[in-house]
Amino acid sequence: MAKQTQTADKTAEKPAENDKAAAMDAPAAEGKKAAEPQPVKEEMVHLIVFKLGAEYYAIKIEQVKEVNITPATTRMPRTPHFVKGVANIRGDIIAIIDLEDRFNIRPAPLLDGLNPDLTYTLVIEAKGYSIGVTVKEMPQSLNLPISKIDKAPSFLQDVNISENFIEGLARTGDRLIIVLDMHKILTQDEVRELPG
Amino acid sequence: MKSREQEYKEIFIAEALEYFDALNRHISTLEKQPDDEQTLAEIFRLLHNMKANSKAIGYLQISDVSHKLETAFSLIRNKELAFSDEVVTVLFDGIDLLGELITNIDSNQEAEPDPVLLRNLDIIVENLSDSAIELAKVQKYNTSKNLSLSDLVYIQIKKLDHLMNLVGELMIDRDRILSISKDMGNEELKTVSSHLYRITEDLQYSVMDARLVNIGSLFNKFPRIVRDIAAAEKKEVDLELIGQDIQIDRNILQIMTDSLLHLVRNAVTHGLETPAEREKKEKPRMGHLTLSAKSDRENVLIELADDGKGMDFKLIKRTAVERHLITADAAEGLTEAEVLSFLFEPGFSTAKEVTEFSGRGVGLDVVKNAIDSIGGRLMVKSEKGKGTTFSMQLPTSIAVKGALLFEVDEIFYAIPLIHTEQVIALDKDELHEVGDVMIADLKGEAITVVYLHELLNTDEHQMRLGDKSRLKGQVQNIVVVSYNNRKIGLIVDKLYRQQDIVVKPMSKPLDRIDLYGGVTLLGTGKVCLVLDVPATTRYFMNRRQAQEHV
Repeated sequence: MAKQTQTADKTAEKPAENDKAAAMDAPAAEGKKAAEPQPVKEEMVHLIVFKLGAEYYAIKIEQVKEVNITPATTRMPRTPHFVKGVANIRGDIIAIIDLEDRFNIRPAPLLDGLNPDLTYTLVIEAKGYSIGVTVKEMPQSLNLPISKIDKAPSFLQDVNISENFIEGLARTGDRLIIVLDMHKILTQDEVRELPG
Repeated sequence: MKSREQEYKEIFIAEALEYFDALNRHISTLEKQPDDEQTLAEIFRLLHNMKANSKAIGYLQISDVSHKLETAFSLIRNKELAFSDEVVTVLFDGIDLLGELITNIDSNQEAEPDPVLLRNLDIIVENLSDSAIELAKVQKYNTSKNLSLSDLVYIQIKKLDHLMNLVGELMIDRDRILSISKDMGNEELKTVSSHLYRITEDLQYSVMDARLVNIGSLFNKFPRIVRDIAAAEKKEVDLELIGQDIQIDRNILQIMTDSLLHLVRNAVTHGLETPAEREKKEKPRMGHLTLSAKSDRENVLIELADDGKGMDFKLIKRTAVERHLITADAAEGLTEAEVLSFLFEPGFSTAKEVTEFSGRGVGLDVVKNAIDSIGGRLMVKSEKGKGTTFSMQLPTSIAVKGALLFEVDEIFYAIPLIHTEQVIALDKDELHEVGDVMIADLKGEAITVVYLHELLNTDEHQMRLGDKSRLKGQVQNIVVVSYNNRKIGLIVDKLYRQQDIVVKPMSKPLDRIDLYGGVTLLGTGKVCLVLDVPATTRYFMNRRQAQEHV
């Protein structure tokens, strides 16, 4: 048990250690994980952690195709407010959405030294298409034993994100991370047609 | 490029050779199992088709031999001729002769069918069971047969679709490379990219060409359909087909199939009068229906014209008022074109009775939606007592289309040329605030004008479509678009060039937003939104009504 905690602590420190380029390149980070022998046999999850408002959120790395600096986005008039527009990522034109707007999360004041014009886009792979999710701070990668994720937190009814989208809560050190199931968000997001 | 005749010939030969192979296979089966009804039926079918096809294209010798063989097999099927060894030999020889004749078309050698063999065929056909007559020995001239494969391949349309998509992607990248090479000023790169331009253009046209089919492949189904509907409706109809050899993208024709069927049914059941009624009006007894196709540079125009009773404008107006589509007062002032546009409202029907062939609640809106979906245009003209004409303007290809590029609020947009009528610059003073909208006078025609920036970007509650003060600058660039028999002028901020664009469908979850027909990438790598004219027009009407109710 003690051993397990130790591993968790060690992995929790990883994001801080990772230099920025490694965090940007998710597959490289995955490679690093494979190279590092895990002393404990327990199944691990690899998460991409990002901030919405003042809280930490995460998506499982299998659902993330790549992380980019947000490319030039063309606004699309008369689409829902959380759709920031469309962007050209390597010839694919994908929708860019803002989860803070989507879930009515109050944006946190920007940290000192962060460029407000520089945001990051997580490209999420869904069935047959991709979608971009913008975040203000550089996403980080995190390895966690699966037992660290509380699958059914009891206080979910108080959260304004429908519980269907939340896969669980992860605790590492003093941080609380809300793990989202992006596929559920995407399938439930009904971008409706215009009236008339 | 090959002439069309040459192309037909090649298709015929390839098909005929395939039939020939099949015949050989089946007759060998039959030799072992003379009672196999199914094989016999198949041989019969192949010979029958071969006879019809070769007769149609003018190869009478092939048609003649096919006919003789067909007769022989029909006798075998009816058990009037035994499938004996002697007969089998003659039949094999006959089929070989067919193969010979078919190959000779290709090599342009004039080959006379062996008269002895022809006589043998006649003997087995005409002399039935009388085996007393000797069958002359046929000199075998084709002991060393060449094995050859067909020059034609069948290809799934899905594969062609995929190819077309790839070409589209390639064109986008090509434009990007071209634009980069201009910026860099490297001569070598410029040469290479202009070569790349030419090759991709050739490739695009080759792939588009491979997808083309004759419109006749659909048109030729109509004489029978019209005959059946006319018989059921007790009407006399003469159907004239024009332009069957016009070519069009196979998928577009596929989408048009149901629509055309619907319009033809309507024309016979509702458009044309009964012979008695026509005589009373001093028209010829027989109603005339014309289904025609013609093509210009980019589009194919299909027209269906009848010389029937024409639309009842009063009835349409009354129905529109009854269905609360318009107030009775407003209906009075409508132009004929505006009245006819009600026909395309969902479920709009003035038919009182449901017949077997039409009036089952499927309205013309279905036709309009099908044409909208491929970016075409549907127009209707009608004159009381003289008849109705439906005109369908269709793109020849789905993926690549000419479009007009412009900018509104720093966003690039494109509108397919098929929907644009004209582009004009008008002084702000030439626009008039009338009621809730702006009106411009175009050579005596008053058209509604809308500022796209206001329509697209202003909060819906604050939208003021008739407020000139919202316009920027003095001179206004207006793109006049036309949809469903009405014109609307769209004021844009900046007008750019015309350009061929590759429309990419909107990816999920934005594919449900119908205001955009898709997106395209400009040479600069910028995303350009393709406005869907039907949806934009609908959205405008909807907002305009919403304004009235405030």
